Amino acid sequence: MSGKMKCSLWGSGALFLVALAAWLYQLRQGLILTNMVNSFSWGLYISGLAFFVGNAAGGLVLTSSIYLFGVKQLKPLAKLGALTAFANVTAAMLIVLPDIGKPFRLYNLLLHPNLMSPLVWDVIVLNLYALASAIYLYILMLPELTGRLGWLAVKVENAHDFSEKWAKRIAPVALLFAIGIHVVTAWIFSTQGGRDWWFSPAMAPDFVSVAIAVGATVVLLAGALAYGTGKKYEEAYRTLGLIIFIATCVHLFLMMNDLVIHAWYGNGETHRIMEIAWGDFAGFHVFEVAAPLLGAGLLMLPVVRRSMPLLALSSGLLIAGVFVHRFLIMPAAYNNIPMTITPFGLPNTHWSLPIASGRFFPGLDTFLDQYNYSPSLVEVVILLGIMAYAVFLILLAVAKLPILAKEKA
Amino acid sequence: MKMGMVIDLEKCIGCRSCMVACKQHNAQPPGTWWNRVFTPGSHRHLTPPAKGVEYFLPVHCQHCENAPCEKVCPVGATFHAGDGAVLIDFDRCIGCRYCMAACPYGVRQFNWQEPERTHERSEYQEKYHYGYPREHHHDGRLVYTPLRPKGVVEKCTFCAQYRDKGELPACVRACPGKARFVGDLDDPDSEVSTMIKARDAFTLLPEKGTKPTVFYLPPKAREV
Amino acid sequence: MRIDRREFLRGAAGAGCALAFGLKFFHFSDDPAAYAAEMEQLVRSTCSPNCTGACGFKARITDGRISTLIQAADYPEDSYNPRGCLRGLSMMDLIYGKDRLKYPLIRTGARGSGEFRRATWEEALDYAAGRLKEISGKYGPEAIASTIQVPGTGYVQKGALVALTGLAHWTMHHGYDQNGDLPMFWPMTFGVQSEELESLEWINARTTLIFGSNVIQTRLPDAHHLLEAKRRGRVVVIDPDFCSTAAKADEWLPIKADTDAALGLGMAKIIIDRKLYDAAFLQDFTDFPILVRRDTGKRLLAGEVLALAADARARTIPDYRRLFVVRRGHDFQILDPEKLNPTLAELEGEYEVTLSDGKVVTVETVFTALQKTLAEYTLDKVAAITGCDAARIERVAVDAASNGPLHIIYGASNYQWYNGDLKGRALSLLPVLTGSIGKSGAGISTYAGQYRIRFNVKSWWFPEGSKINWVPYLHFLQGKGPRYPEHGIKAMVGGWGNPFDQHNMNNTLKERATSGELEFILTTDFQMSTSCMWSDVVLPAPSWYEKYDLTATILHPYLQLQQPAIKPLFESKSELWIFRELAKRLNPEFESHFFPQLDENEAALKVIELLLETGGQETAGITLEMLKKGPVRLHSPAPGDRQVPFYEQVQHRVPFPPPSYPAPLKATAQFLRSGRIEFYKDEDLFLKEGEQLPVHKETYVETEYKVNPAARDKYRLRYVTKNSLYRVHSTHSNNTILLELQDNKAKVFLNPGDAGERGIANGDLVRIYNDRGKTRAYAVLDPGCSAGTAIFEEGWWSRYLGDESYNSLTYPWIKPLHEIYFVPGMWSPTTVWNECLVDVRRMKA
Ligand SMILES: Nc1nc2c(c(=O)[nH]1)N[C@H]1C(S)=C(S)[C@@H](COP(=O)(O)OP(=O)(O)OC[C@H]3O[C@@H](n4cnc5c(=O)[nH]c(N)nc54)[C@H](O)[C@@H]3O)O[C@H]1N2
Ligand SMILES: Nc1nc2c(c(=O)[nH]1)N[C@H]1C(S)=C(S)[C@@H](COP(=O)(O)OP(=O)(O)OC[C@H]3O[C@@H](n4cnc5c(=O)[nH]c(N)nc54)[C@H](O)[C@@H]3O)O[C@H]1N2
Ligand code: SF4
Ligand code: SF4
Ligand code: SF4
Ligand code: SF4
Ligand code: SF4
Ligand SMILES: [Mo]
Repeated sequence: MSGKMKCSLWGSGALFLVALAAWLYQLRQGLILTNMVNSFSWGLYISGLAFFVGNAAGGLVLTSSIYLFGVKQLKPLAKLGALTAFANVTAAMLIVLPDIGKPFRLYNLLLHPNLMSPLVWDVIVLNLYALASAIYLYILMLPELTGRLGWLAVKVENAHDFSEKWAKRIAPVALLFAIGIHVVTAWIFSTQGGRDWWFSPAMAPDFVSVAIAVGATVVLLAGALAYGTGKKYEEAYRTLGLIIFIATCVHLFLMMNDLVIHAWYGNGETHRIMEIAWGDFAGFHVFEVAAPLLGAGLLMLPVVRRSMPLLALSSGLLIAGVFVHRFLIMPAAYNNIPMTITPFGLPNTHWSLPIASGRFFPGLDTFLDQYNYSPSLVEVVILLGIMAYAVFLILLAVAKLPILAKEKA
Repeated sequence: MKMGMVIDLEKCIGCRSCMVACKQHNAQPPGTWWNRVFTPGSHRHLTPPAKGVEYFLPVHCQHCENAPCEKVCPVGATFHAGDGAVLIDFDRCIGCRYCMAACPYGVRQFNWQEPERTHERSEYQEKYHYGYPREHHHDGRLVYTPLRPKGVVEKCTFCAQYRDKGELPACVRACPGKARFVGDLDDPDSEVSTMIKARDAFTLLPEKGTKPTVFYLPPKAREV
Repeated sequence: MRIDRREFLRGAAGAGCALAFGLKFFHFSDDPAAYAAEMEQLVRSTCSPNCTGACGFKARITDGRISTLIQAADYPEDSYNPRGCLRGLSMMDLIYGKDRLKYPLIRTGARGSGEFRRATWEEALDYAAGRLKEISGKYGPEAIASTIQVPGTGYVQKGALVALTGLAHWTMHHGYDQNGDLPMFWPMTFGVQSEELESLEWINARTTLIFGSNVIQTRLPDAHHLLEAKRRGRVVVIDPDFCSTAAKADEWLPIKADTDAALGLGMAKIIIDRKLYDAAFLQDFTDFPILVRRDTGKRLLAGEVLALAADARARTIPDYRRLFVVRRGHDFQILDPEKLNPTLAELEGEYEVTLSDGKVVTVETVFTALQKTLAEYTLDKVAAITGCDAARIERVAVDAASNGPLHIIYGASNYQWYNGDLKGRALSLLPVLTGSIGKSGAGISTYAGQYRIRFNVKSWWFPEGSKINWVPYLHFLQGKGPRYPEHGIKAMVGGWGNPFDQHNMNNTLKERATSGELEFILTTDFQMSTSCMWSDVVLPAPSWYEKYDLTATILHPYLQLQQPAIKPLFESKSELWIFRELAKRLNPEFESHFFPQLDENEAALKVIELLLETGGQETAGITLEMLKKGPVRLHSPAPGDRQVPFYEQVQHRVPFPPPSYPAPLKATAQFLRSGRIEFYKDEDLFLKEGEQLPVHKETYVETEYKVNPAARDKYRLRYVTKNSLYRVHSTHSNNTILLELQDNKAKVFLNPGDAGERGIANGDLVRIYNDRGKTRAYAVLDPGCSAGTAIFEEGWWSRYLGDESYNSLTYPWIKPLHEIYFVPGMWSPTTVWNECLVDVRRMKA
């Protein structure tokens, strides 16, 4: 193991442990340690869920498309894809834990699942997806599970053929799951008629397109970090770049389409939404549009793909843009209280009903009709810790498993 | 039997006694209010939003027939009682707050920390706290407890602990304006059904399709 | 603790309806015995702050503590149920709050510093008694002044301090004029302290005119009767502010502040001009037919008239009466002040009359004189003065006169102005002219405080040998006055009040406390109020859920008990016990009056029995046992014991005024020498001021502008300090539940125009100031607030105002007319909170 690798492992591992400690602290004190309030009841953690789910998807979409559509160029990245998928989907499940008020009661999901709840669907598809990506990874690794790792291998006649055959067979299922986790995660939000910002059929396809863009970027970045930006992978990276760009464009199109419809109808509520989105959060919005567009555009350029720093920068831009996009799921839904009415005698007014914060701050208002949420230190630490977990897992696997093993193809 | 409530906005004087009764009888710590009374259009209660315009609007759980909060609850902690009230099982709720995202009326409240700690913020003598003193089970499920577990969601229960004993909800008993009524919506001759028919009752956010069982009678017009 | 049968039955009845509804999951609780036990723990008491509610509450006791409070809702007329409000419902916040007093305290730091040490009761009482004796020895007993607030909420415990004051020959201030609650038009016009309809009678009015009373907030548990009155008739609110009561009325007449007299006179003129008045009523029950001498302005006395002098001499009448003259047909006749028989006297007219000395003078009836005065109040002029639309004034006046009974509610904030008496006299014209007096649903009412003593209290309050030197509070603040003690007031003994927030005009109290001019301050309260902070000895009292007392209010005629639901918290002791112990230490002979052989609860019950027995016709037949079962109606002359003012006077033709407790009739009857409702006052000072009949006078002319003509430009906002929904005066200032409802902030309401002019936006912290003082609050731009007004909701403890008391701005103006007579709390200088100019500016953060 290289020194750099060791360093990164220790670093990410330590960060994860810090986050774990933060979570234990939060478990004791309660979610009072976050900056959420009753009127803004989902924050960074749930944004994190959407973010990790997005990252997770791309991996398996890629991997499965190699086998499904024969995108041969990408084959070298197949295992990496499955690995990032697994790491991210488990991260997505982990980041939900600190958001749960009573995590030790999660067994109720097994005892009393409510099949009407999109959250239950999400738990199911996320678990299945985690399982699928693990199996996929395993199948892809199977031919190389020899020697020291031999004990891990199942006994099959021809490991290589077996792997190829099953990889092909699982591909459609994996693709379905990959799309499924996005669609279902999007449904968590987009089924909610109470919140206009979310209540949109465009959300699910948009989630898929974002996922493809950012998922592919994660694989691209991981690949470049692992294999370098050499000639050998140019073709793969070019293909990825193209996928990323197209997906980004589709995402931006779907997003704008949604915004236009909200803005065009322009009732009181959407008015406020637009005010928040383009007023209070204008900077963020510009960033969520500009950064991915710029990142994806840059990745189309061979020079960029050839230079590690430039590639990292562009991918970083895109990932950051998408992260901001995920974060922005919340403010326009929560900043403004969604229950607006037009009071008698005041036509053309839209007025939101203040909500008790649930957290008593002496000297401050209990009833809020507007709350500017920004995450607390504990929330940030926990989110970073979960990111560190994903990195740690990937690095560890790369170090210990034949992920990057000398390939033949 | 379908429980329903009628609030007569002509009679409601905006006094907020129902808010306080609800808070007190249901042991809500500082910062938590299941029931709110507004002066619509105004940032400040009892301050007219415009010259000559003012009325009052109490809002708590609307006990929706088509309750999104119930539908989203992953573990079935939110449920419809036999009489139509929407209740939360404090033993089952996992605190995911999905229901808070789902409720269009903003009536659900979360327990961000241990209730004892929240109560401490009021600095009462010798750890005093108010509220109906005993746990209450409805249909075998814990729907009221004076100190709610940290990390669960809570809201108006139509005062399950009182109704199950045949008493009226605290806000109804406390309303000095005599503006609140409860009764059986299934019975077309009940007081509430009659009022709903006779007085052009309306519900909040009908466009959301939640089918509230809380109805409002409009205030009368007035000369200025 | 007693088994609460009523609650039990209610539970059972409830169970019945629940079953009828078919409540599927109905059950009495898993264990019926447990439920019954829980029910046994309900105790009824009466919410008794300085509020007009007096609402019955039931406390649920769990492990010796109050766990919940709910209205008792046990008044026999269901219309009164459920009395109570958000303040009463959150009373546990004060009982168990962080400011609750636990032990007797003796001051150790500077006055107001809040530094105290815990003392034993012995120590605190010995020390207090020592200081009081010393001061009494040095300056005489009248240098010690005591106050109680609103006796109606505590006949027993408050009576103990009154009794001690009398025994020790101290000075006493009467809370009613101290609070500005005394509406001086009452003794002037009707010869009483004040009167009012019970709220259940409101619904019998067909026209209700509310002149500046925020009933929805300040008579909250009765407000639904107003809505019922609206349903059955019309309710019009006349208020400069679009207050919540205006929002609920049929109609709101926005009026320029302090111009109600002009409006009243303008309406009276319309009613008279259109002959919509009740002539027979005026002939028999008012001074309208009485003849007034043009030359002197005095009422013509029968003894002065040549033809009537002999007859007059032959009649014997009480000292407090006079024989006035009326015209009937072609004769002058003596008007019998002791009988209200039909007079058939001329209402209008001008006559020549020959006096005993042969002089011939011109006389006219009061009614004619009134019409001359009213001639000035033409519709256009009134519209200009009041800012109200002329056509609307006319319509409201005609409506009111045509749709009786007419009921007027005249609010405290409206009469707490320098010329509040003139407004009241002008407004009284409306029900009087229309004969809306002494009938169900009719009259004029003022509801302020629970000052009203409803029965004879002499046996407990004024023991043998009792002597009280009554000094109006305003004389105390001004440091001079007729009965002001020679050496001034050196010690304050108080309870049930918080004068250091509520009354420290010009910060006088704090200054005198700091300078040492006040040598000793003793306060008893159940929480650490600002006044306690400024005291030398603080004695912890129980709240009204911890002791026995008797309570009554002006809004309903029920006598009720305060009962101990819990033991007195910590070391608190009831006031009866406190003042008994103090009395014993001052003079061992005093103790015998206070039932020394009984413990504090037994003694209180004994006093209740004594008061019921000796209370007179109002309490006849009422027993302690009856009160323990629930509220009991006091007796009154009206059918069904209804509280209808002057019922006896009008229906049974008994001369005015009815007695006002505890004063003897002669003390108040001297205000109405004709035995009738009087609009014409001929005491010299009235004549000098030109106020023999009600007129409209401009605000601030005799006060702010006179003292400082520059105030006209310098301070351009009226400082209206009205009552808050969230407090009863300063009680509940620190209620954490109610503070949440106010965003934990004191507010000042400004007209958006005034705010804009001063660069003030919603939510800005602003300074409110004048030459006398300053305070601070967060601005609310209120489109309902009239221009030129800064409304501040009174009652904040100064700790919430950066230690700048909101009453440092006000001033103890005294109108000389209010010193013509003196009957404590009845004819006495009264505080005029709203006669105060300020300005506001943004405070730098
Ligand atoms: N919630 C609550 N209720 C209370 C009390 C309390 O502290 N809190 N205190 C009790 C006591 S002791 C009292 S004295 C009463 C007082 O209660 P109210 O008599 O109702 O007096 P406020 O509420 O001070 O003011 C009533 C209205 O008078 C208006 N006003 C002021 N000046 C004028 C004027 O010149 N002309 C006219 N037409 N209107 C004017 C104000 O705008 C205000 O809306 O309330 C009793 N009830
Ligand atoms: N500027 C301005 N000032 C005003 C007014 C205004 O309109 N403007 N309003 C005035 C009016 S109308 C009034 S009535 C006065 C009211 O002024 P206060 O009569 O001083 O009334 P509170 O401020 O409520 O003070 C009552 C105190 O008695 C205590 N207390 C309550 N119950 C008991 C008991 O059983 N025993 C003992 N020992 N203490 C008890 C409470 O804790 C509280 O501290 O304020 C007047 N002040
Ligand atoms: S208690 Fe009754 S009158 Fe008062 S705000 Fe509530 S519903 Fe309205
Ligand atoms: S109001 Fe909200 S919490 Fe109540 S039933 Fe409807 S959706 Fe659920
Ligand atoms: S917070 Fe509780 S009640 Fe709400 S959805 Fe989650 S589990 Fe159900
Ligand atoms: S029914 Fe009970 S829980 Fe619901 S608002 Fe009324 S008092 Fe609160
Ligand atoms: S504060 Fe006044 S109105 Fe409210 S409950 Fe007590 S007595 Fe009644
Ligand atoms: Mo008062």
